[in-house]
Amino acid sequence: MTRFTRCFHTALATFLGAWLLNAPAFAAVQPEESAWRMPRDVSVEGHRIDWLIDITTVFITILFVIMCYLLAVSFFKHTDGHEVHYDHGDGKKQITFALSVSAVIFLWIDGNLFYFSIKDLSEVFWNFDAPEQREDAVRIQINAHQWAWDARYAGPDGEFNTADDVVTLNDIRVPVNRPVILQLAATDVIHSFYLPNMRLKQDAVPGMINPMWFEAKETGEFDIACAQHCGAHHYLMKGLLTILENDAYEAWAAEASRRSALAFDDSNSELQWGWTWKEI
Amino acid sequence: MSAPGPTDLQPIHTAPDSFIKRYIFSTDHKVIARQFLWLGFFFMAIGGVEAMMIRWQWAHPGEPVPFIGNLLFGASGGAISPAQYNALFTTHGLIMIFWAITPTLIGSFGNLCIPLMIGARDMAFPKLNMASFWFAALSGGMVIASLLCPLGPGGAGWTTYAPLSTNVGTPGWGQTWLVMAIFFIGLSSITGGINYVTTVIRLRAPGMTWMRLPLTVWGLWLTAILNVLFVPVLGSAGLLLLLDRLAGTEFFVAGALAGANAGDPIVFQHLFWIFGHPEVYILILPAWGIVGDLVSFFCRKPAYWYKGSVYAMVAVSILSTVVYGHHMFLTGMSPLLGKSFMLLTLIISVPAEMLFLNWIHTIWKGNMRKDTPMLFTLGVIFVFGLGGLTGLHLGTISTDLYLHDTMWVVGHFHLTMAAASFLAVMAGTHFWFPKYFGTLMNERLGKTHFYLSVTLITLVFMCQVVVGYAGQQRRLYDPYIYTFLQHLQPLNQWTSYFAWALGATQFIFLYNFVHSVFWGEKASENPWDVGTLEWSIPSPPEVHNFNPIPTVVRGPHEYGDPKFMEAVGRDYLTQTETIPPQADEPGRHESGPEPLSQAGK
Repeated sequence: MTRFTRCFHTALATFLGAWLLNAPAFAAVQPEESAWRMPRDVSVEGHRIDWLIDITTVFITILFVIMCYLLAVSFFKHTDGHEVHYDHGDGKKQITFALSVSAVIFLWIDGNLFYFSIKDLSEVFWNFDAPEQREDAVRIQINAHQWAWDARYAGPDGEFNTADDVVTLNDIRVPVNRPVILQLAATDVIHSFYLPNMRLKQDAVPGMINPMWFEAKETGEFDIACAQHCGAHHYLMKGLLTILENDAYEAWAAEASRRSALAFDDSNSELQWGWTWKEI
Repeated sequence: MSAPGPTDLQPIHTAPDSFIKRYIFSTDHKVIARQFLWLGFFFMAIGGVEAMMIRWQWAHPGEPVPFIGNLLFGASGGAISPAQYNALFTTHGLIMIFWAITPTLIGSFGNLCIPLMIGARDMAFPKLNMASFWFAALSGGMVIASLLCPLGPGGAGWTTYAPLSTNVGTPGWGQTWLVMAIFFIGLSSITGGINYVTTVIRLRAPGMTWMRLPLTVWGLWLTAILNVLFVPVLGSAGLLLLLDRLAGTEFFVAGALAGANAGDPIVFQHLFWIFGHPEVYILILPAWGIVGDLVSFFCRKPAYWYKGSVYAMVAVSILSTVVYGHHMFLTGMSPLLGKSFMLLTLIISVPAEMLFLNWIHTIWKGNMRKDTPMLFTLGVIFVFGLGGLTGLHLGTISTDLYLHDTMWVVGHFHLTMAAASFLAVMAGTHFWFPKYFGTLMNERLGKTHFYLSVTLITLVFMCQVVVGYAGQQRRLYDPYIYTFLQHLQPLNQWTSYFAWALGATQFIFLYNFVHSVFWGEKASENPWDVGTLEWSIPSPPEVHNFNPIPTVVRGPHEYGDPKFMEAVGRDYLTQTETIPPQADEPGRHESGPEPLSQAGK
């Protein structure tokens, strides 16, 4: 082999390795722009949460404006010797009116919240059958500890805690347009796995395995955050969620799994913190 | 109906002669009320300074704190370290809840108002009452001790979630002192609560039926019941946590760090929130009661649908015990349980709406006197409106998936528990000041304090709601570590400027309060023209309050009845006065047995 070929091969391997394993190095999490909006929604179903939050905010704003209007009129007009309308307010008509107004507000705002929340939970957020049944689902186990996220992919054999598992630290890569199911555990204290761009979070509790799932609709890089106070460096518990095109994801997963298998040592139980995938 | 033999139960007691018995270990409910007030304001100042430092951290993370930085954080060059920051928000929350709002709103107003408003000469158990204050003072000392511990103060958050609050997360005496302090302040709440409950049941003056009680007393009484029922749950959680910390048990420890007999951290959360959710109503029910009374007193109108307000407060108290699960939607709770808690949580908004409707109806078409207590009352309605409405998103599971543990939560509960309770404390302090100290507070300073406070407090906490909407988690030492939060720094800085202005505004109150206590304008018996019993005796009242014990003939909200204005020459009737017979119409002013069809016509 000529010197040139060796150099060429080295360069190519370096480039491919960097591309496959370290794709994020070429990009960075995009900062948000407006302080008055939620972060960019990159999940297929996140719009349900955005809509319910925003419509409820519209509703309560209407109520609040009405209340302020009534208070303002009283404040400016019903004062300085204004003739008092003597009224104990406990006539049948008045009670009926008060109860009806309360009922209307309840059915309107709370009813809307309750109906759509139950619907969204049953159809999507707490419906784990749907993603589990999809053949293209990606399954990841996450172990939270002070102050980082370990992630574990089952590898080609589909079994967790085996030699071909891919294990990463604060680096979670998922394909776009495929359901991603996470199971969360924690080593020491309670953490909360928070994906602001997916509108989701779920506590990771020592002694428990908690599920969550999402499906990304765009590629890119996004923050993973901890939402539960977990000690002195809680604020540093940041990870990177990389959403890749399916091909790029598969290429990365295969390469990473191959490397894991090379380094695997069956006698080292520290490498096997995963668990058998839990049926939800 | 009325209390049995009031004079047998309550002999006239003489004033104690020694200084210590009179001002330190006093059994006089009025002295204890003042002690609680000073204690509460003292700790409110500490908690407030902590809040200012937290705001510094969010505006300029890791930079040296001006003025006091070198004194407090000398080892880190004047900057707050992450562990110290955790201690700041932990003790800020605990101090404000247990040593600032609780002593003022419940300890102080409860002690002052309950006997005076129901026509009693003292509490049912004066010595227990004294113990209640001294437990609070002792526990306050423990909090201060926790700040001085070698391994650092406790930093597990005011919720002290296990396992973070066990030796797994926070070794050292700081957290232990904090848990013990919570236990002892709980003891104070329980002893106080037993006293309040008993006093209202047993020592009401003749004729003071349940439906003639001022709403303030209803609020305080329901609060006391919740305290007696649920603070013991917190106490038991605290004891188990102490065993985990000191005796090597593992009630709340699980996961890789637990031994063979791992416990369950979620059990701690259940115990905590079984107490913790009633607690938020414990902190607001007295405020609601005060608002219900003051809107009537100052708008010169009867409280609109008084019974409705009472029923609503009772309903809230009952419902408050079965909604706590909404704090735990994301812990891995069973979906059915979660959805049930969501429904119950949403239902609790109905009685709250009824209260708002009643307040607004009372204010509407009245003759508002814009004295400082009334302004603060309007402030309570305003900020509690905002706080209550922003809670809807959090009581619903799917929206909580995003908003849980964000600054939205912080803004929401500060608007309700902090802003509303604080403004209610201000309303009550200004209103009952004559009964506390015999003087009036300065109105001009009071109004300046009000307008600045209500504007700034709304800005601070609404900005927190906004950054929560943008996704910022609570309790971050440096939020701008996260890329998706970096653009929020300017907004957070503005929030901090508002917060510091709010802090500075409190000096107006401090000056007004201290000046009025010692050099204030002497108050007459009834400076506000109000008809409840405490305004029928001198300001400040004598040691035995009432002699003779009054006989009550009507409810607390008799204002603006055109029928009697001429007969009595003023626009209100006191709870005890009898009316010239020609003007009277039997049954008309009885709030109790009055048939619905006759009322309000």
